[in-house]
Order: sequence, then structure tokens, then C-alpha cells
Amino acid sequence: MGETANIPSWLGVATSVLLVLLAMAVSVRDRLGLTRELAVAAVRAFVQLLAVGALLLIVFERGGLVASFAWLAIMVVIGGFVAGRRARQLPHGVHSAMAAIAIAVGVTLGALLVFRVVPTTPEVVIPVGGMVVSGAMAASALTLLRIQESARDQRERIEARLSLGLTAAQAFAPEQRDAVRTALIPTIDTTKVVGLISLPGAMTGLILAGVAPLEAIRYQIVVMYMLLSAASLASFLSAKFSHRSLFADGARLISMSPSAATMVR
Amino acid sequence: MSPFDQPHHTAPTELFTLVDVCVTREGKLILSHITDHFHEGRATALVGPSGSGKSTLLRLLNRLEEPTSGQIYFHGSPLDTLDVHLLRRRVGLVGQQAVMLAATVEQEVSYGSPGLPQSAVRQLLRRVNLDEVSLDQSTSGLSGGERQRLALARALAVDPQVLLLDEPTSSLDTKAAEAVDQVIKDLVREGLSVVLVSHDLDRAAAVTDDALVLDKGTLVDRGDPRSVRYLVE
Repeated sequence: MGETANIPSWLGVATSVLLVLLAMAVSVRDRLGLTRELAVAAVRAFVQLLAVGALLLIVFERGGLVASFAWLAIMVVIGGFVAGRRARQLPHGVHSAMAAIAIAVGVTLGALLVFRVVPTTPEVVIPVGGMVVSGAMAASALTLLRIQESARDQRERIEARLSLGLTAAQAFAPEQRDAVRTALIPTIDTTKVVGLISLPGAMTGLILAGVAPLEAIRYQIVVMYMLLSAASLASFLSAKFSHRSLFADGARLISMSPSAATMVR
Repeated sequence: MSPFDQPHHTAPTELFTLVDVCVTREGKLILSHITDHFHEGRATALVGPSGSGKSTLLRLLNRLEEPTSGQIYFHGSPLDTLDVHLLRRRVGLVGQQAVMLAATVEQEVSYGSPGLPQSAVRQLLRRVNLDEVSLDQSTSGLSGGERQRLALARALAVDPQVLLLDEPTSSLDTKAAEAVDQVIKDLVREGLSVVLVSHDLDRAAAVTDDALVLDKGTLVDRGDPRSVRYLVE
């Protein structure tokens, strides 16, 4: 893959460092105390992207599909940790998130590949898979966080339902529904305003790479639909898996200490 | 015969029996070696200062909590051998805050027994002296005392043998509390067994026949609520 006219040269990248300096100057002038953090963030971004770029180059040229799917699996594991740790008090939160994200990604990306909507090549599996994982991860994290909050704050309500003889699933159903609804709002809203407020990533990338806009939007439409499905599945499954771990034998809601839970926010 | 369809006896029979029940949470002893029993058809008070373990003891009876050791029997059957959902329909619980679960009065009463006919809902409302509210009234507009009585009606709708009441009047003013007390007394007179948690012995004595006094997780006295020892520090 040679350099395209539309892509900044390394000299261009060096020039853009000036913009980081500008941000740092603002921090220094207003004593925001963020100067060091800005520098660290900029360096981290550079190093991480350089490493990913090099790794992608190797995978595309030598690793093939096996390495691509291995890469995808690692993204799912990382996504599971990030989402699951949002809700530290939920027992097995990481496992719930990881399983939910894995299934959501498997079904969504699997459907696109099986029906040949996109080709099964490393150049597709990794970036498109990455988008699915991050969409699923965000939905799973929001769901688990909300579930944890409900289990803590709505305890009396849930136990009132249990005390009427409802099963754990019935007693938690309103909270579970609420968690999934809340988690899906950002994805649905983003889908609603796509193109009106922001030109989304996949389309932007294609246009920058010189693809005609009407072709670029086809990719974006597929991506948006894929993200809707991935987020819905991940949220629904996260709620399903995690709600089980909220109840002990005999349909008892486990206790969560309020003090430790506030640390999550 | 299943413990859930015991007939009403003339002589007092043991409803709940607790044998050497201990509860420990995070290394802290909440209840220590409680051995006692609750009679059927009576109102029993669990009194003690806050932190004495009385609410925990109450929650053990419908298995919202489990003992760390010891055994609890319902009509002679170990609690953990019974179907928990059926147990909870026979052993209802109403908490201090009376959280509302539904939008309207009718939905609230029939929450645990969907499809309850309107006539049954009205009858339940009469039993808790709430005949003045209409079925389609919003639950959010009710007063604390009305909500508490509605929660009682909701618990009664699943036809329990026992009602566990956790400080049912402590967040109410005197007038509303007296109205709830009156409903509890009427229910006991109708043959319902009641276990009532209270930090206020005088208040509890007005509605109960027996009292168990707890202090720091230990049973310190039991007997007639007008004569038990209860020292408030």
C-alpha cells in the first residue's frame, strides 16, 4: 500500500505536532494543570497507532485470516474487560460482558461475511470487526452500569416483587428493560442523525481515500445497521447474563455496599 | 400434607420454628443463636433498637436472607426445602417505605396476582380501609399512610397465611399510623398471623400478642409485649 495523495506525509504529521503545542499553550496559560497529560496523551496516541499500523501491516501481508480473527478475539477480550469493569460490584461482570460482546460480534460480523455483504479479507475483518466490538462494548458497559445501579437503588422495589412470589427474572424484568433501553439510546440517536450532524468514520475514511460519496455511503449504511444490531444484542445479552449473577439461590437479591459502588462513577 | 395448606388449628401451633439461627455478614455477627417459635394466628412483635438484627430475622422468614447456620421451619418443614416462590406467597412481606410497583391502584393490588377481578380488588381495598380510593387512581398521588395500606392489600391479594411487616408505621404521622395499626389488628382478628418489626415497644404492644426482644443480635426476652424487658439506651 503506497502513499496516496490524500494522506498526510510524515512531514505533515510533524507539522500537526504544532496543534498539540497549541493545546498545551492553552493549558499553561490558564493553569489548567493538563499540560503534562496532554503531552502524554499525544505521545501515547502516536506510539499506539504506530504499533497498530506496523502490526496491521504484518497481519495483512503475512498473517492472513487466522491472524485477523485472532486479532478480533483479542479485541473482544479487551472490550469485555473494559465494559465489565464499569460495574465492579456485579459478580462476573467481565464474563457477562465478554460473552455478550463475543456473541454480538459473532452474529453481526458473521452475518455480513456469510452473506458476502463485505468480503472476508483481513483488510475488512479487522477494521469492521473493531467497529462492531467498540459498539458492542459501549452498549454492554452502559447496560451493566445501569443494572448495577438498579440492583442497588431499586432494592426495595425488587424485593417487594420477590415477596409477592415473583421469580427473580420477573422481579428484575422492569429494571432489566430499563437498562437495555437506556444503553441503546446513544446508538439509536447516532443512527438517527447520521449525516446531519457528523460524517461518520467509515464514510469519512472512504471519502478521504478518494471513493465517490455515493459509494462511500453504502458502506456507512451497512456499518450503521451493523452497529444497531451489535449494540442491541450486546446490551440484551449483557443484561440477561448479569441479571442471573445478581440473585443467589432461593431468588435472593445479593447485597451491594453503596460506598464501594460510588467509586465506579 | 404440604405445609402450605395447613388447616387453621384451634390450639396455637408453631408457624415458624427457629433452631440455633446465626447470621454473620462480612465477619460481623448480626444474629446469634436464636432459638424460638412463632405461633399461628397470632401477632408477634420483634422489637429492639436499630442494629439489633430484628429486620434480618424478619427477612429470614421469607428467605430474602439466609441464615449462616441453624435451621428455620415453616409448619415443621425446613424453609430451604420448600419452593421459595410458593413460600413467599404464603409469607407476605411489607416494608417500611411501601414502594409502589404499578401506576394505578387496581394494578398495584393485583401486581402479584394478575387478572384479579375488580370485585376482589375492591374487597381487598375494603379490608385495608381504603374503600374511598378509586381503582384507576394514580398510586403516585397517594399519601404515605394510603400507600402503606395499599401495600398491605397487594400482599393480601396473593392470599398469604402470614404477613411480615417491617416497621410499617415508622415513617407515618400518628393518625396515619393508627389507621394502619387498626388494619393490622383487624387482619389478626380475621385469623392472619403477623410478625411485626418495631423499634417502638409501646406502638407494637398495641397490635401484638407476643414480643421477642432483640439486642445486638441476641434474644434477650420474650413474652407479653406489656411486660417484656426492653431497655432503650
